[in-house]
Amino acid sequence: MKRRELLRAGAVAGAVAALRPSLASSQATPATKSPELTPAQSGVDASQDLSATNWKPLFFDDHQNETLILLSGLIIPATDTPGAKEALVNRFIDLILAAETHDRQRSFLDSLGYLDGESMRRYKSAFRYLKRDEQDDLLHSLAYPRAGSGWTGEAASSDIGHGHFEKLKQSIAGAYYSSQIGARDLGWDGAFSHGVYQGCEHPEGKH
Amino acid sequence: MTSLYSPSFNLSPNRASQDPLQQTYDAIVVGSGATGGWAAKQLAEAGLKVALLEAGRAVTPAEFTEHTPSYKLKYRNHSPEVARTRPIQKQCYACMEYNYEWFVNDLENPYSTPAGKPFTWQRLRILGGRSLVWGRQSYRLSDTDFKAASRDGYGDDWPISYADLSPFYDIVEKYVGITGAAEGNPMLPDGQFLPPMKMSCGEILMRERVKAQFGHTVTIGRAAVLTQVHNGRAACHYCGPCERGCQTFSYFSSPFTTVKDALKSGNCTLITNAVVSHIDMDNSTNKARGVTYIDRLTRQTKEVRAKSVIVCAQALESTRILLNSSTREYPTGLANSSGALGRYLMDHVVGGGASGRLPELKTPPNANEPQRPNGIYVPRFRNTPSSAKHPRFIRGYGFQGGADSDFNLNAEGYGTTFKKAVKEGVYGINLGGFGESLARWDNFIEIDPSLKDAWGIPALRINMTHGENEAALMEDAAATAAEMLEATGAKDIHVQANVEMPGMAIHELGTARMGNDPKKSVLTPFNQTHDVKNVFVMDGASFVSSACQNPTLTMMAITVRACANLIDRFHKNEV
Repeated sequence: MKRRELLRAGAVAGAVAALRPSLASSQATPATKSPELTPAQSGVDASQDLSATNWKPLFFDDHQNETLILLSGLIIPATDTPGAKEALVNRFIDLILAAETHDRQRSFLDSLGYLDGESMRRYKSAFRYLKRDEQDDLLHSLAYPRAGSGWTGEAASSDIGHGHFEKLKQSIAGAYYSSQIGARDLGWDGAFSHGVYQGCEHPEGKH
Repeated sequence: MTSLYSPSFNLSPNRASQDPLQQTYDAIVVGSGATGGWAAKQLAEAGLKVALLEAGRAVTPAEFTEHTPSYKLKYRNHSPEVARTRPIQKQCYACMEYNYEWFVNDLENPYSTPAGKPFTWQRLRILGGRSLVWGRQSYRLSDTDFKAASRDGYGDDWPISYADLSPFYDIVEKYVGITGAAEGNPMLPDGQFLPPMKMSCGEILMRERVKAQFGHTVTIGRAAVLTQVHNGRAACHYCGPCERGCQTFSYFSSPFTTVKDALKSGNCTLITNAVVSHIDMDNSTNKARGVTYIDRLTRQTKEVRAKSVIVCAQALESTRILLNSSTREYPTGLANSSGALGRYLMDHVVGGGASGRLPELKTPPNANEPQRPNGIYVPRFRNTPSSAKHPRFIRGYGFQGGADSDFNLNAEGYGTTFKKAVKEGVYGINLGGFGESLARWDNFIEIDPSLKDAWGIPALRINMTHGENEAALMEDAAATAAEMLEATGAKDIHVQANVEMPGMAIHELGTARMGNDPKKSVLTPFNQTHDVKNVFVMDGASFVSSACQNPTLTMMAITVRACANLIDRFHKNEV
């Protein structure tokens, strides 16, 4: 994914505002609401929508939601920066899926269901009730299909399992890195303008 | 009557006391995009009284969203509303949750295609049209393009040559501001350039190694983006997403340049929300007397009168207006005595290219780097005057592409390993071909007898396929792109040799081509219809062949040239 798709930063950059003060003020006032403007063009800021205290899933049932919260935290954990759980990745995926076609909804649930199916097969328990070590072992075998499982001696999982894992991972990563927390994780400073594009400044042959 | 006007458009002079429909203008310009803006500016500044009609609403900088991060969007660019109302428009990379209201609502603006012949028609109805969201790449054509038929025997030459158009390229480039580097390549004539944007390390490697191994030129893109203050507009601040608007007007779009100038002259009346249905003819004199339009909001029918009518509505829309203007004298469409109206539809063929990664470059991605709104360009190198004739196809293609370090969301694994690998990034490199689309009689548009738009105006049926030559071009583009990436040092090269559906390049051309022979063409070399002396088509519809360069710069130069001729006729009282 291009970072210019990911980031598209927020506030008017200081440099731009200094350059054209009249434009900065025109941007501060959202355009009049009109059915012919997109919400973004009307100045709507939906970034806090998902953090409502009374949030309820639109699409997932409780088990699916809890499984996704857990899985997202394992795939993108909190480190020195917050992870997917803190970024409410499950809530965003729920919002997107609620508006998706039936086929795409089913495709996502198939992948989530595969995770529980494999978990039941290997450990006789749904993924979210496994011990942390078991969760890690299962994810490892799906993420690195050729490696197999060093924990249980299980053979390498099929390409199908890897495919389901990658599909879930892509949804989680897409939701995380398009969030404000994800943008900060990538190091974005919140400014839009960072001067003139300088390109390569190396001497010939010293890139 | 004030609702017809555009009180919200703060650049327009106050003329609310005049009824814009109670006067006879010297010229009606239909469409306010790249060419319509130029026609309005040139004619109004020359003293002609101009009515500029735009089917959409006015636009203001307050609705620009280039500085809105995606997390402020409810669906972060996956809005179901875009899919619901713009199922075709969203095939355009620039139609997004940010700005989809600028694009036409597909439910209100239908067209049909025959079974098995899809065509994607991506367009805007708003002041400025597609100039608000265009890709900004700006290249001159050469005589290898204008006189292609004489070289390889296919189709027809243009009735104009590079020497005819060169002075008008100069005028357009000096006004618009085109960043670029002179290369002295005869396939891609140099122009009046602002300082070029810089290349990345990977692009410099490609430039050096491709030149050494193949002799081909890799140059920085020539783009309608300012690299220094120019004609009162600020230089680019490198935020990236031009297609969402620009607070500093640093890329060229007509509302804040040509249309603004036209209105400033005091000779131009802008009428927004005017959906033109047809040109009205005075059959006794064989001249147009004006146009009829439907008010987009009230659905009322209105007429505007003028001594001349200039359609600049975008190739397909301009020809649709002529086809919908048939009379007893012109039963198959106005100014269609040749039968060529609607014929020879073209769109550049895309879908052949390659991508990979450059492992020798280790620069990690940086979220706080200036975003260059431009790529690199490889001018056509097949079937040139100095190259061998290719055995499998005529004409050629150019490449657009780039090389840069990027966050690697496809990194392997999960957990802290994955999170770290995303930030380590991957240095990607890619090239994609834009091939010439041959002018063919059987690629054509017609009026669908049973389909109408939301305003009751008969809609188009678009009949187009890419042929064997286009497929051969993309196959060669894919293989050659892979070789060029390999020569640059790329690994994991992914080759793509598709022929995308027509319309995907968003470079619709032809359907009212110019020519010296009234039996084979619709327009004179000055964009006047052969049949009706005061009707003009000034946009991509007039192209005789598509070449492979992005066409907007040429469309603008042709318009300025045609306007100079029209102004001259007005001064001689010939209109």
